[in-house]
Amino acid sequence: MYNCLFLVAFIEGTNLKSPQNVEVYIVDDSCILKWSGSDEFVSNVTFSVDYQIPEIDDWIKLPGCQYVTSTQCDFSSLQLNVYDEVKLRVRAEKGNDTSPWYEVDSFIPFQKAQIGPPEVHLEAEDRAVILNISPPGTQDSVMWAMDSSSFTYSLVIWKNSSSGEKRTETVYPRDKIYKLSPETTYCLKVRARLRVQRKVGLYSPVSCINTTVENKLPPPENIQIDSNNWNYIIKWDYKYENMTFQAQWLYGYLKKFPGKHEDKWKQLPDCENVKTTQCVFPRSTFSRGIYFVRVQASNGNNTSLWSEEKRFDTEIQTIILPPLINLKSVNGSLRVYIGAPKESENKSVDQPYRLTYEINFWENTSDTQSKILQKKTDFTFLNLKPLTVYCVKARALILEEKWNKSSDFSDTVCEKTKPGNTSRTLLIAGICIALLILAAVVYVVRVLWRCINYVFFPSSKPPSAVDEYFSEHLLKNLLLSTSAEQIERCFVIENTNTVSAAEETNHAGEDYKKYGSQTSQDSGNYSNEDENSGSGLSEEVLLQGAV
Amino acid sequence: MSVKPDVIRKCLWPACLVGLFITGILSLDCNFLNIHLSRVTWQNLRLLSVMSNSFSIECLRENKAFELPEEILSHTQPVKNDIKEAFYEASIQAFNIFSQYTFRSAWEEKHLKQIQIGLGQQLQYLEQCLEEEEKENEDMKEMEEEGTKHSATMVPRLSHLELRRYFNRIDNFLKEKKYSHCAWEIVRVEIRRCFYLLLKSIALLRRK
Repeated sequence: MYNCLFLVAFIEGTNLKSPQNVEVYIVDDSCILKWSGSDEFVSNVTFSVDYQIPEIDDWIKLPGCQYVTSTQCDFSSLQLNVYDEVKLRVRAEKGNDTSPWYEVDSFIPFQKAQIGPPEVHLEAEDRAVILNISPPGTQDSVMWAMDSSSFTYSLVIWKNSSSGEKRTETVYPRDKIYKLSPETTYCLKVRARLRVQRKVGLYSPVSCINTTVENKLPPPENIQIDSNNWNYIIKWDYKYENMTFQAQWLYGYLKKFPGKHEDKWKQLPDCENVKTTQCVFPRSTFSRGIYFVRVQASNGNNTSLWSEEKRFDTEIQTIILPPLINLKSVNGSLRVYIGAPKESENKSVDQPYRLTYEINFWENTSDTQSKILQKKTDFTFLNLKPLTVYCVKARALILEEKWNKSSDFSDTVCEKTKPGNTSRTLLIAGICIALLILAAVVYVVRVLWRCINYVFFPSSKPPSAVDEYFSEHLLKNLLLSTSAEQIERCFVIENTNTVSAAEETNHAGEDYKKYGSQTSQDSGNYSNEDENSGSGLSEEVLLQGAV
Repeated sequence: MSVKPDVIRKCLWPACLVGLFITGILSLDCNFLNIHLSRVTWQNLRLLSVMSNSFSIECLRENKAFELPEEILSHTQPVKNDIKEAFYEASIQAFNIFSQYTFRSAWEEKHLKQIQIGLGQQLQYLEQCLEEEEKENEDMKEMEEEGTKHSATMVPRLSHLELRRYFNRIDNFLKEKKYSHCAWEIVRVEIRRCFYLLLKSIALLRRK
């Protein structure tokens, strides 16, 4: 109990409250911790601040902020890495009493930092104001060490008069505001911005300037830059006649750096002292990139001020060269090959953009042209009339959203189509004829073969009539009497033969053939000697054969 | 069990619409510039390779791990804009770094000019691109809730901080080594690697 009482007394003794409303304010390089003391207005209260960085585990006493009476502490001199986390804590002290520590949530200075106002220097012309903006913070700023070229600036300008219409523009560190009136007071303010970090800075204090009296010679206006296959052409407008002009150019990226680059402008060699309001220079003058161009007029005694700086991007000014066409007629169709454009110099024609080709196609005799859009470089026109001359010309296009570019048309190429259909009929006719010839040949060969067979390999088969007759008569001979035999003796010649034939046939069928030849021979002989009988015989044979 | 399909069906329609809406937003690309941008960025990448005569072996000894933050390259990042901003940030930092280059030969001067021009172009296109998208996003502002928008913007800032720390390491490395030839060689290779990985991520995201 005694201990408890003592403890209570001890706790009650530390009645110092920790600081309230503790906030971190960082603007550019100035890092300030602010707080307010406890409610009671107590004198002789001091405050101390400690800090902690990730590598070191202990709290370190912040130099210059130990036992201070003020309610803020500047810790800019700490040489912290602005991208590393920092922890702070603050407490109040009175004599031997200390309040509990108030710990600020760990933060990253860069994230908390607010972009301060940039410094603006102005120079007046008659119709323009030249800006010279220094980035926020000092030159050796730690906070914006990596950002000196990253700031984007936006400017608000208005006439000091009552109407004061405000105009907002995005500007480079070294830039010009155009379209102003001479002998007028303009006021403006600028602020810096870091896009990616979503940081918008504070406005610079308002600065005002008077534009000068109008210059005798106005600057050239309305600068346009065009290009063709070999050159760039700058054109401009000018009020007066008999002037000489000169043009200068600058690397685009130099605009991003603050500070002077008046000396970085270079002369365009082909545009020195030109008398016309245009000037032509070869494409080879500029390698790929973004540039700025400006023009100045002079008439010997006086020179005008520089014109507006015109941005010029070689990528956007690219020229697409016309393609090369090759035609080939294949049967009833025409095959088109689109080739890469010819290189004028030895430089490689680098055209990595996806090209679409517009092909115009027509019959040489007719006027109607048909247009086709194609991405392929090798395709065929089908179903064309044979033996007709067709002509083709094409151009390359880039069809991307918001950017239409086309090349000139290529040379016209014409080609005659082959007689596709007639050749087909010829082919069919040819095939038919071939088949006919084949059939004829086969037939002739068969006939020949039969002849050969007949001559060299005759068949020993008797004629069919004789065959029948013989077979029937065999039976009759066996059954009939002698009278029949006698009658048959009239046929003696034949009968003896038949008897001998029958006898013979009994032996073997093979001799049949042999006999057949004998019979014919015999009959032949007999017919010669006994013509009548022979003929009668032959009649009988015929009669018998018929039966 | 029978409730689930109904619920799914009920949720599917709005989910589809939201999906279409989101893809609609994401496909709001600055198409015009993209063809130039991709061409220029790949050109710059090639330039970074060609810039050096030879990478001497002794320089390898001074090699340091800069720890490129891989999270920003992961394909799980939902917002397309995020990686484009990361690429913009990387381009600015690379531009700043190369502006500090002190060349010692005419050959180096020529290449340095080219890379500065190239990076300047790249930055120009990226700025225009991001400005366009910003304008379009402003139109969509009414459709988005303030709260969700804030939370969405918190996340990218952290990843960009990682990228910053990475470039800070590179910057400090150059200062430490007093901008020696070897230090520049190592930095050149590192920046090329960083660009390559970012471009790859962008290309993959575009395909989705």
